Amino acid sequence: MLKKRLIFTLLYNDGNFMLSRNFRLQKVGSLEWLQSNYNFSHISYSIDELIVLDVTRGERKPDEFCAVLKQLTEGCFVPIAAGGGVRTIEAARNLLRSGADKVVVNSSLYEDNGFIGQLASEFGQQCVVASIDFQAVPDGSYQVWSECGVQCLDGTAEKWVEQVLQENVGELYLNSMDRDGTGQGYDFGLLDLLPGNISKPIILAGGVGNATHLAAGLADPRVDAVATAHLFNFVGDGLKQARQALISSGVELPLWDIELLEQHLGAEQVGN
Amino acid sequence: MKKSNITVIDYGMGNLWSVLSALRYLGCDPAISSHPDEIVSADSLLLPGVGSFRKARHALQQQGLDQAIVEAVQIKGSKILGICLGMQLMGISSSEDGDAVGLGLIPSTVDKLTPQKISTNKIPHIGFDQVHSQLGACLFKGLQSDAEFYFVHSYRMLPAGLSGKSAICNYGEKFLAAYEQDNIFATQFHPEKSQTNGLILLKNFLAQ
Repeated sequence: MLKKRLIFTLLYNDGNFMLSRNFRLQKVGSLEWLQSNYNFSHISYSIDELIVLDVTRGERKPDEFCAVLKQLTEGCFVPIAAGGGVRTIEAARNLLRSGADKVVVNSSLYEDNGFIGQLASEFGQQCVVASIDFQAVPDGSYQVWSECGVQCLDGTAEKWVEQVLQENVGELYLNSMDRDGTGQGYDFGLLDLLPGNISKPIILAGGVGNATHLAAGLADPRVDAVATAHLFNFVGDGLKQARQALISSGVELPLWDIELLEQHLGAEQVGN
Repeated sequence: MKKSNITVIDYGMGNLWSVLSALRYLGCDPAISSHPDEIVSADSLLLPGVGSFRKARHALQQQGLDQAIVEAVQIKGSKILGICLGMQLMGISSSEDGDAVGLGLIPSTVDKLTPQKISTNKIPHIGFDQVHSQLGACLFKGLQSDAEFYFVHSYRMLPAGLSGKSAICNYGEKFLAAYEQDNIFATQFHPEKSQTNGLILLKNFLAQ
């Protein structure tokens, strides 16, 4: 049986990792900070996937981002998706050569220039993660925003979801700008924007404050994976504890037997 | 662990870094090559892959790597592990993006996943899923017979008619999750992305 996924999303801005609240960024620390507070070669046994997004406001430096991605993913044996401003096949290829298995696209989804199709034809549809940023409006509907929440798109959210689904994308990453970084829990209203016959995996993001929120997300049958980008909520062994809480409450997550690996490789090697 | 002379084939399509990172963790010092001569002379090959079959096939052909791989494996007897698209490339042909011919190392064709209950089985098949390995399969030595591995794919091979040892995943249909016959090894899933289980499987391959 296919297991559900717990995803950790990292937001990168010009050399630093960030906390985002309603898409306003606050600097947390460099790669060194991240490594010392999360130690990815260890926490990768607590998550099922890592997403790393270059959300740099202003001009991005793709080569520096790729270099950080390489360092971050060394010793981290989970699937990794990366993105941020990807508009060329070469940019996608560089991410895939720096530790990413999948490429996350957002603003380029709305540019109607055939790029998403090219990306899928080059790397396969399964390689393309479509990230959509939603904002609730007071009448109960939603708007879609591009360019890291700077540009509001005309038309209903349903229309944009439908358009994205017509592109050759592998999965959808639905993010709530209102809940982003608030710790109030997911906005399940985003799932109602999807057509009933959705055949692509859905990742829900935006608003997680604790393990209960993650469990609520995974309990929805429309959700295949839950993501959190909150660097402070899960610092230290927070992700490990959250995962244990989810598994204890009966959520179907994959199980990793670190002892078995130690038997095969020697405890010393695994511990490093 | 002894250093293994393993060569990772670079044809511009793979998730190279991930594969190299896993091999290094296991104590290997892998070579990376896109030269036919180096591939023919390698004892042990790894064919990674993220991408579309047609593009990958074209890339292999353009660099003369397709013939080098077949020569190394079928004439010299080098062992090979194909991962994901790398496994599919080892098949006879694929119907992805129009028919294209594979390397012919695994006598099976590659077609789109056709789960019977489309509403519950989404495509692509993404995530950790159980793999049921046949008793005695070298790759799965020391692992549970229903160990979990990470999949991300829309195409697959079927186990029918294959004489080697198969491992099966059931995703609305029973497809070939892994295969081994003599010096030929392949996984549809990504061992380099499958945490402890994947590392053990890679170690088993290296130990062959």
